[in-house]
Amino acid sequence: MSTQPSPVIRVDHVSRWFGSVVAVSDVTFDIRPGITGLLGPNGAGKTTLLRMMTGLADVSDGSVTMFGEPVRDNPALYGRIGVMSEHETVYSFMKGREFVRMMGRLRGVKDLDAATERAIELVDLVDAAALPMGTYSRGMRQRMRLAGTLVHDPEVLILDEPLNGADPRQRVHFQSLLRRLADGGRTIVLSSHILEEVEQVAETVLLIVNGKLAASGGFRAIRAALDKRPYHVRVVSDSPREMAAAVVRLPSVEAVNVDPDGAIIVLCNNVRDLQVELPRLAQAASISLRRVEPLDDSLESVFGYLVER
Amino acid sequence: MTSVFLLTLRQLSGKWRLAIMAILATLPVLFTALIVRSGTAPSVAEFEVIVLSTMLAGSIAPLIIVSIASVAFANEIEDRTLANLTLSPIPRWQIVVPKLAAAVAVAAPFIAGSAFLTSHLAFNQDITATFAVTVSALVGLLMYASVFVWLGLVTRQAIGVGLLYIVLWEGFFSGYVSGIRFLSIRHYATALMHGIDPRRFAEGQHVNFGIAAVVALTIVLVFTALSTRRLRRMDVP
Repeated sequence: MSTQPSPVIRVDHVSRWFGSVVAVSDVTFDIRPGITGLLGPNGAGKTTLLRMMTGLADVSDGSVTMFGEPVRDNPALYGRIGVMSEHETVYSFMKGREFVRMMGRLRGVKDLDAATERAIELVDLVDAAALPMGTYSRGMRQRMRLAGTLVHDPEVLILDEPLNGADPRQRVHFQSLLRRLADGGRTIVLSSHILEEVEQVAETVLLIVNGKLAASGGFRAIRAALDKRPYHVRVVSDSPREMAAAVVRLPSVEAVNVDPDGAIIVLCNNVRDLQVELPRLAQAASISLRRVEPLDDSLESVFGYLVER
Repeated sequence: MTSVFLLTLRQLSGKWRLAIMAILATLPVLFTALIVRSGTAPSVAEFEVIVLSTMLAGSIAPLIIVSIASVAFANEIEDRTLANLTLSPIPRWQIVVPKLAAAVAVAAPFIAGSAFLTSHLAFNQDITATFAVTVSALVGLLMYASVFVWLGLVTRQAIGVGLLYIVLWEGFFSGYVSGIRFLSIRHYATALMHGIDPRRFAEGQHVNFGIAAVVALTIVLVFTALSTRRLRRMDVP
C-alpha cells in the first residue's frame, strides 16, 4: 500500500480581495513534495495566491500554513523557503556573484563561498558571475535570480513565472534542474500561464481561473478533460446554408448556427473529425470552402470550459 | 544587518543625489561666509533664527534627509526588490535599523559638514558653539531620518508628503503658532544646541536640554518601532 507524503503547504479556504475586487476566492488545496504547477491565464490570481503562500501578502480570509506553521510574519520559516517572484528587477549595480552572496548571507548560509559557487554553477552562469547584473539579458537575470533563490538550499521553492525570458535551451536546462531538485525531496511550486510549460515538469496541476480553483490533480486527467471539451469552429463558404445542412449530419457536430455575415458556427466535440470531414463534404456538394478557423483556442476559453464543468 | 546596511548604502549613493545634497549643504556655508565678509554681521540671536534654525535645521537638513531617508524603502517597494529582504529569516527590526543607519550615514557627512563649517565661520572658531550646532544637526538628522524612513513605508508619495511636512509644518506653522513648536523636530534640535552651549545661545524660549534629549530619543525609537510594525504588516509587492 502506498502512502502519500504529508502536505508541506496547506491553503485552507483562502480569499483575498482588494476593495470590491475579489482576486482569490475560497481556494483550498494541499501541496506535497514534488513539482506542482499553478496554471491559469494572466490575471487569474496566481501571483496573489503565491504571494499569500510566501507570506508576502496577507489573506483576507482563510489560512496558509507551511510545515504546520503560519507563513505570514514568520521570519524563522523563511530560511526554509526559496521564492522567485515574477518581477524581473535586479540590483543593476551589483555583480551576479555579489547578489548571490548577499542572498546567502541574508539567509544565514554558513559556508557562503561554496554555496554561492554551487548555486551559480546550478544555473550555468559561472562565466557571467563577475559582470554587473545591469548588463545581463532577460534570461540571464532570471537565472541569476534563481541562483539567489537556491543559494541556501531551501526545502520549498516557489517560482512565479520563472521561464519568462528563457530561450529553448535554457528552458530544457531549467526543467531538468527542477526535476533534480524535486527528486531530492523538495517541494516546488511553479506558476505559468502556458499549458505546455507546466505539463513538461509538473506532476500535479492546480488550475486557477478568475481567482478560483477550477481543477486540480494529475496532468493526464486534466488533459483528458481538455480534449473532451466542445469547440466552436467558424466556417466560411460560398453556400452557407447547404454547408450547414451537410455539416449538421456529422456525428461529432452538436449544433450549427448561421451568422448574419454568412459564416456558419459549428459546435463540435471532435475537431479532428471535423477537419477530415469538412473538405469531403464541401467537395461532394460542390461548395467552395473559403475559411475554417477555431474560435476556442485561447487559454482563457480552455480554462473557462474547465470552470463551467 | 551588515548586508542590508551595505546594500542600502549603495542604493542611496547615486551620483546625482550626492551632487544635489552637496549643493544644498553648501548653501548655508556660502550664506554665512557672505554675512561674515559683509561687515554688517547680525547678532547671535538673529543669526540663529535666520541661518541655523530656519535655513539649516528647518530647510536644508530636512530637504537632504527627505531625499535620502524616504527612499530607503520606497525605491525597493517601487522596483519590487524588497521581497529579497523581507523573505530573509531575520527579524524585521534588523531590516529597518540598518536601512535607517544607511540613510543617516549617507546624509550625515553633508549635514554635519554644513553645520560645522557654518558655525565655525559664524562664531569665529568657537569650539563649543561649533560643537553645539554640529551635534544638534546630527541629532536632528536622526529624528528626521526615522520619520522619513517610516513615511517611505506608508506612502508611495513619501517625498511629496515629506516636502509638504517640511514646508508647511516645520517651515510655516511651527514658526507662527507657538503650540505647534512642541511638535516640531526643528524645535528640539535647536533646544539641544541651546543646552550644549547656553553661554552662546541664551536667548529665546526653549525646552531644557534633558527634555529635548528625551524627546529626540523617543521620536527615533517610536518611528523605528512604527517602521518595524509597518514592515511586518504590509503587503510586500
